[in-house]
This record gives sequence, structure tokens and C-alpha cells, in this order.
Amino acid sequence: MKRNHILAMLMLVAAIVIFVNASGDIGTYYTFEMANKATSAVKVNGTLDPEYEIKYDPAENANFFSFHMLDSKGNSNKVIMTAAMPQDFERSEEVVVTGNFKDDTFIATEILTKCPSKYKDEELYIRSES
Amino acid sequence: MILGALYNGESLLPGQIGHILILLSFVAGLFSIFTFTKAANTGENSWNNLGKVGFYLQSIAIFGVIGIIFYAMINKMYEYSYVFEHVSDDLPMRYIFSAFWEGQEGSFLLWMFWHAILGMFILRKKYEIGPHVMATLLMVQTFLSSMLLGLYIGTGEEAIKIGSNPLLLLREVMDAPIFSNPDYASLIKGDGLNPLLQNYWMTIHPPTLFLGFASVTIPFAFAIAGLWSGKHKEWLTPALSWALFSACILGTGILMGGAWAYVALSFGGYWAWDPVENMSLVPWLILVGGVHANLISKSTGYSIKTSYLMYLLSFILILYSTFLTRSGVLGETSAHAFTNMGLEWQLVSLIGTFLALSLGFYFYRSRQIPSPKKEESIYSREFWMYIGTIVLLFSGGIITASTSLPVYNKIQTFFNPEFIGAVIDDPIPHYNKYQIWIACFVTVLSSAALWMRYKGFGWDKMKHKFMVANAAIMLASVAVTYLMTFLVDFFEARYFILNVFCVFAILVNLYLLFPKNWKSLKSLAAASSHLGFAMMIIGSITSGLNEKTISSNPFALTGLVEDESLAKIITLIKEEPFYSNNYWITYENDTIIGNTRFFDIDFREVDEKGNTLDQFKVHPNVLFSNDMTKVAASNPDTKHYLFKDIFTTVPSLPASQIDVELAKEVEDSLKYELYELTVGDTFFLSNCYGIVQGISTDPNNKNFLKENNDIGIQVDLKFNAMEKDTSYELKPALGLDKNLIYTYPDRINELKIKAKIPDSFFEAYFTEEAKLEYANFDIGNNGSFDYLDWTVQMVGINTSPTHKNYVAEEGDIAVSAQLIVTNNKTGERQEMEPLYIIRGNKPMVVKEYNAIDGLHIKFYSIDPSVPRFYFGTAVDKRDYQTIPIQIAEEVPRSDWITLEAVIFPGINLFWLGSILMMAGFGFAFFSRLKTKL
Repeated sequence: MKRNHILAMLMLVAAIVIFVNASGDIGTYYTFEMANKATSAVKVNGTLDPEYEIKYDPAENANFFSFHMLDSKGNSNKVIMTAAMPQDFERSEEVVVTGNFKDDTFIATEILTKCPSKYKDEELYIRSES
Repeated sequence: MILGALYNGESLLPGQIGHILILLSFVAGLFSIFTFTKAANTGENSWNNLGKVGFYLQSIAIFGVIGIIFYAMINKMYEYSYVFEHVSDDLPMRYIFSAFWEGQEGSFLLWMFWHAILGMFILRKKYEIGPHVMATLLMVQTFLSSMLLGLYIGTGEEAIKIGSNPLLLLREVMDAPIFSNPDYASLIKGDGLNPLLQNYWMTIHPPTLFLGFASVTIPFAFAIAGLWSGKHKEWLTPALSWALFSACILGTGILMGGAWAYVALSFGGYWAWDPVENMSLVPWLILVGGVHANLISKSTGYSIKTSYLMYLLSFILILYSTFLTRSGVLGETSAHAFTNMGLEWQLVSLIGTFLALSLGFYFYRSRQIPSPKKEESIYSREFWMYIGTIVLLFSGGIITASTSLPVYNKIQTFFNPEFIGAVIDDPIPHYNKYQIWIACFVTVLSSAALWMRYKGFGWDKMKHKFMVANAAIMLASVAVTYLMTFLVDFFEARYFILNVFCVFAILVNLYLLFPKNWKSLKSLAAASSHLGFAMMIIGSITSGLNEKTISSNPFALTGLVEDESLAKIITLIKEEPFYSNNYWITYENDTIIGNTRFFDIDFREVDEKGNTLDQFKVHPNVLFSNDMTKVAASNPDTKHYLFKDIFTTVPSLPASQIDVELAKEVEDSLKYELYELTVGDTFFLSNCYGIVQGISTDPNNKNFLKENNDIGIQVDLKFNAMEKDTSYELKPALGLDKNLIYTYPDRINELKIKAKIPDSFFEAYFTEEAKLEYANFDIGNNGSFDYLDWTVQMVGINTSPTHKNYVAEEGDIAVSAQLIVTNNKTGERQEMEPLYIIRGNKPMVVKEYNAIDGLHIKFYSIDPSVPRFYFGTAVDKRDYQTIPIQIAEEVPRSDWITLEAVIFPGINLFWLGSILMMAGFGFAFFSRLKTKL
């Protein structure tokens, strides 16, 4: 067998191993109902629930804010995040939160928001990580 | 467009020339492709000359389009959509370049600009396969110029859009009521450049990156030329030089993006495995792989196929990267992508065309590509370099596979619209866990393999030395890494192992370079880039794994979440030092310069006994939007040390400081109570008591600017907290500027109170001119008169008077009376100088006013024959019994900021390593310039 063939086979094996291994790293967006049953951190996508106020008082605690979010099924749930509120958060169109449930509250460790910009047709993405 | 004639003030000519030039660049490109192809196939010089004509015509057309867009931008021709979107009146000229390439069309033009420049260098070199190279380059260039055509095939909803023209008029792309006004062009104002991009990095990063992109086309074009001409060896030498140039520039461009993110944006790092970052890295990895395959081919004749494939692939990946960043397919998975331009299909066909061209040529020729029958020796340099190339390819493959997840999702939705796309849950660990092992491979290959010679020459003799030296260096590397654990944490075995390999690579490279090889530029180049890579990885281990938040506030979140290290931000009240992780941090002051607000923050590092170890100041800032109504971005500031960086940023501010609307909301929510007071009164609030100290007509309220106000009044108050013995001053004021009364409130943050004076008090204190009752006096030269409590003594005449309310005009005759006014009650004397002016036969007066006494004096006229001087005097009524003050309590404090401060240890190793690596490519390029390109 030529050495190139051995190399190709080694690469194929490595690729398969990585593919199987990596499939654990990806997931779909959850709804709150599904997330409540999940054991590890999951992502939930949706929009801000306009019925509720966004609570953030940095003078009191700069590392905490809470809001209600509607998931893709339209169910609302309280989300808290232990980090500073991203700029323009209240104007965001889409929100993706990563985290898990503790009792009835979703505790987010990362939030990704997509905001409409005042600049025409342009959208700013604001990422916040904790 | 018959409507054109109906509008005034539009400059249509630049646009019309631009349209012609865009079309010319496309047509000249097609002509040039055809003629260069003829030249390549026939070898006739006349075809080649025609090709050159086409190329230069196209380049001139491209430079022309760029020039016209700049012309329209500099002259603020907002009737053009591209100008409207990217420029505004207040945009500083130094950002005009940033504004130009902020949009997709501008950045395509930047890319094409570099192609044109590089094409000129290729023509100058007169390569034998030059026509083939130029034909290929022009295919790329002409395809890109089609991205600017702005043609529609078909009509209505189903029209296919070809390109997006940067010179369309705003009224052609937007439907708005303003276009019913024929003078709309003079009424509109541009949107301007996103404040986040008003930054010098935006001036230097895109041109470097796009020169990198454009230069990847050149080795690609040489690869195509090699396949096309069947001269499988001739192309290798020039391709290598161009690939080295490209690897240097593209790498620098990518690193500049990282430096920008780290230094100027509040991302808190230089690399985040964001799809946009990944897809500029992958073509570079493949290109670097190509450089190595190319070196093998040139020296030994092995791996010519690999050289072809790597260069072809690196360019296809540049196109794929362009597609990902510009088609909107990345959606919410990327923090930075271009706006969707509606040209997805054109971008897909761009990839498709060149993929088909590459594969077509490759399979057409693959059987003829020479390759030695005998396999390379396992003890040869070429064998291990080949392995390295394959490892780079593999690394790029893994990154591309993960980054393309949004593309798979998109494809799935074509078949099943209900498809729910998958996302990578946590990208950074996902990418890291594979790339760590690849980096281990690369470091070993890029050091140990350098011992070996091409074709395994002399291996038997050095075998023994190789084993001993490598084993010794490996032991030393383990020892060095062990010693490093006293300074930094590795946390996991894999990072320890990676660090060992990196140290190994650095030591081996140094060992091989000294004592004598460093004199060879080629050896220096190899060592510099390989050593630089290893050093860069060590830097990312020390800074990335060991980043430490100084600003942690563990008490804030107790019990709420398990991981209390999440609390990364502290709240700092102005002038109140805050202790956190061995640092006393004080927010001292803030200053607004232009549309940036800088915060002065003092850091004092102390030991356990409280002794100061180090003290420094940082100035993170927030940037306001162009209209100054809200905070648009928060920019960090970093204190650099040799062995660490301290990175600081202000993530949030009080609501009243962020946004004009929020400030109004906060103000509206305050409950003001009216207090009617007199001087000397003491009054009580819930947490303090106040004393009225007096009224002043010379306000020193910090927002009251003397130059902006004709007159002002301020009430001086003093407050004492109930429990504490501290007192505070409160100075609400009112001012008059051009007949408008302005309120200058004042606040005491510590007592949470805010006060303002109602406008009515201004009118009660100062009498309006119309309501003044003037008494008239006339006196002789240097005479005097008495008015109520004052004695007015004239002491002279000034024939060249000045007065803040008087602006001299030509032909004016102006005189002032110099008066000494004595208040007989207080005995105070003051000089006053009212003006009498004759302007064009009409007399005018400019009165003098003494705000303390409320005395007005006018100089009406002169009778020169006697002489006699006529004056009018009046006094303010000052009809008030009490001073009204509105005071609100429980006012949210506004004198604080939040702060995030992070230490990045050893980050300079990362930057030094990157610079060495890029310098290595640069050295290699220059070493080959000396020989033949």
C-alpha cells in the first residue's frame, strides 16, 4: 500500500472520530418547556416579552439583570443573567440565551442579541458573555 | 427616469460617468480575458498587447469609479445612496476611507483595486506564462466587477439582480415622501459612519485584509497557468514568492483584526472562533500549507499535485469566506458580518465558476503532472513537510466543517422549510479541543523536521545527534514548562503538553539557527516563523487560560448562582475608592472630548500590609452617537506591562447618562416640591437640612457658562446630612441667552437631592426692558447726577469703545461715557460705560447694566455745541418676597460608573510571536526577491 493511502486512511479515521465526538457539541434551539427538562446548558431563542419590564439597576448590582422572554413557541419565561446588560438590549429583535433552569427561572450564562440599527439596513450584533 | 429634470441641486454627472466606467470595467475585462486567452493559446505577442490594453482600461475604469465615489463623499452629495448611507456632515475627513469601505460595494472596489495593482506588477515581470496568469486574474477581476453592475434581468418580483451599483441615487433605491419635493437634495443629511467603526483600525485593517485576499488570487492564477500551459514546474518559483507575500499580508490582516478587537473593542479578547474570523483564517492555513508543498516541489519534484490543490483550494476558500460574510447566511451566529446585499446567487455562482474552472483544469491535466516514482524517504525533510501540509489542510477542514453549520441548516430548509437548524452550543471549547492537538503536531513538525535534509541527505551521519539533541531539548522543555507552573496555571494536562511542545519548538529552532545559520535569510525566515508560531501559542495559553478579573465583586451574588466568579463588574462611585483583588480602584473624573467621554480611573495595587506596589491611571471611554443623543459604544483602555496587560472597560452607566430619552424619563419621574424661602432660612428634608446662604448674579454652577449667558442668577444653598457632620453646597441657577431662560439644576448625589429654580423667579428678579421706567438726566462735561440711591459721576469720553453687546461695523461713529457709579447705601463704586452709536445716520444705544444693584444706564445722545450729555437710568423692581426653589428627594445617583478590569498575563508573547511569524514570511519573500521572482 502506498504511503499516501495510509495517510488518507488515517485522516479518514481521525475525521470520523472527530465527527462523532463533535456531534455532542451541537444542538438545536430549545423551547423553555424542553429546556426545563434538560440537564446541561442549552440555547433558547426568542424575543423579549414586552409585557414585562427589563430590570437592571447597576447602581444596586451591575452584574444582574432580569427580563421575560418569549420562546419560539410563544411561551414566556423569566430569565436572569449575572452580567452587565448589553447595550441596546431593550431594542433587540432576537435574543438567544444559553443556560439552564433553576426552579422556574432560566439562568443565562451567555446572551446573544440582534438589534435593529438606526443605520439603514444594517444590523448590529451585540454579544455578551459572562 | 424623466423625473430627473424635476429635481434641483442634484449632481448627476459623476453618477453618469460612474455608470459608464462600471460598464467599461466589465466589458474591458471580458475583452482582456478573451485576448489574453488567445495570447496564452497562440503565444502571439499581438494578442498579449491587446490583453494589456484591456487590463489597463479596466484598471483605469476601476480607479475612476473609486475616485468618483470619493468625490461624491467628500462633497457630501447625499443624493447618492452610498454617500447617504456612509457619510454625514460631522464625519471627520480622516474617516473618509473607513466610510468608503464600510459598505459591501466599497469593499469589493478595494479588493479590485489591489487586484489591479498586483496585475501591474505581474505584467512588469514578463513571465513566460504571464498571459495565462493574467487571463485567470482577469476572470476573477471581471467577475468581481459584475458585482457592481446593478442590472436587473426580468421584471417585478422575479427579476434577477446582477450586482449592486454603488452610484445609484437615493431616490432610486428608496421610496420616501421627501422625494415629492424638488429641492430634496438640499434637505437630506447623511446617516454617517457607525461610531463603532470611527477608529483608526478601521482605516488600516480592511486595506491590509483585502490586499491579503487579492494576493491569494496570484498563486491561484499561477496554479491555473501551470495546469493550462502544462508547464508543471515553471510556475512553482514565481508562485512561491507570491504565496509568501500573500501569507505575510493576509496573516497580518487577520492579526490586525484580532488586535482591533482586543485593543479598541470591548470584546475582551483577540480571537473568539467567530465564523467571520474562522473563514479568514482557513484560507491562510491552506495557503501556508501550499507554501510548504511548493517548497517541496521546487526542491525535490515531489508534491506538485499537492501544491496545485492547496493554491486552488485557498482561493476557493477566500470566495467561500466572501459568500459567508456577505450573504447573510451566518445570521445570529456571528458578531460581525456585512449587511445582506441580495446577491447570494451571484456569490454562489462566483464560487461555482472558479471551483469548476479549478477542478476542470486539474482533472484535465492530473495524469500529466510529474511525480517521482519512488516514495520519499521517511528520514527526509520533504516527507515531514508533506505531513505538515496535510495537518494544516486537516485543521482547515475541521474549522470549515464546524463553521459551515449555518450553511447546512440553510440547505436543509430548502428541502424542509420546517427544519430546525443546529448550532454549536459553546464554540470556543469546541474549536479549541481539536486545534490544541493540531498545534502540538505543527510545533513538533516545524522544529524536529528542520534537522532533516531534502531527500534524506546525510541522515545516517546525523541520526545519533538528532536523537540525543532532541531528547535533551525535550527534557529541557518539560523542565521549563514545569518552572512556568509557578507563574501561570495550566489547569489541564493537555495545555501542559501543548506548552512543552511549544517550548520544544522554540528551543530547537534557536539551536538550529545558532551559531551560524542565522546569516542565511532563508534559515532566519523559517526559524522566525516557526518559533513565532510556538511563541504565539504560549502567549494564548498564558493570557487566555490565566486571564483574571480584578473587578470581581463576590458579595453581590452570594447564593444566586453556584459560580460566583461570574460577577465580573463593579460599581464605582465617583471619588470613593473601592477595594477589589489587591487593587484600590477610584473613579476620579470624566471629560468629554468631541463625542467621546473619557473616564479617569486610578488603580493602586497594594500588598497585604497595604503598601503601594504600583499605581497607574486608565482612561476607558464611551462613544456617543453622531447626534450625541445616546451612548453608541464602550471602548476599553489597556495598561500595558511587559509581562501582562490590564484591560479595563465601562460596560454601563446611569440611565440618565446613556440616552437623552432615558435622561428625560428619569427627570420626569422626579417629584419636585416647591419651597418658598428667604436668605438665612433653615429648612428640613427627610435626610438633611438646608440653609439659604444668598443670591448671586455671578453664577458658578458648573454647567453655567459665562460666555453663553448674558446674565444669570444663582441661589447658594448649603446642606448638612442629619447623622453626619458633612456639609455640601448646592447651586441651582438660571441664565438668559438670546431672550431664552435656561435652567441649570444642581444636585447632591450623596444626599440624593436635586434642585432647580423656576423661571418665574428670573422675571421677578430682572425686570424686562419694556417694563423699566427710565428717568432722564442731562449733564455737562464731567458733571454728575443723583438717581435714587446712586450718584453717577461722568469722568470722560471714550471714542473707541468696546462692549460685549456691540459689534463694530464700518462707518459706525461710537462713543462711550465713562461713568463712576457710587451706591450711597453701601458705598460701593463701579465703573460703567454705556455706548452711543451713529450707524448710517441712525442713533443707537448700548446700555450698561449692573446686575448686583439692578441698575440700567443708557447714553441717549450728545449735544456737541454746549456740550451736553443725555442719560436715562432705571432700576429692576426686584419684586419678590421669597425665593422659590424646587427640590426633589430620592433622586437616583448619577455619579457612578461600572467597570470591568481583567489581567491578561503574557499577552505580549502572543503579539511578539505573531510579529515574528509574519516577519518570517516577509524575510522569505525578500530572500526570494533577490533571486528571481
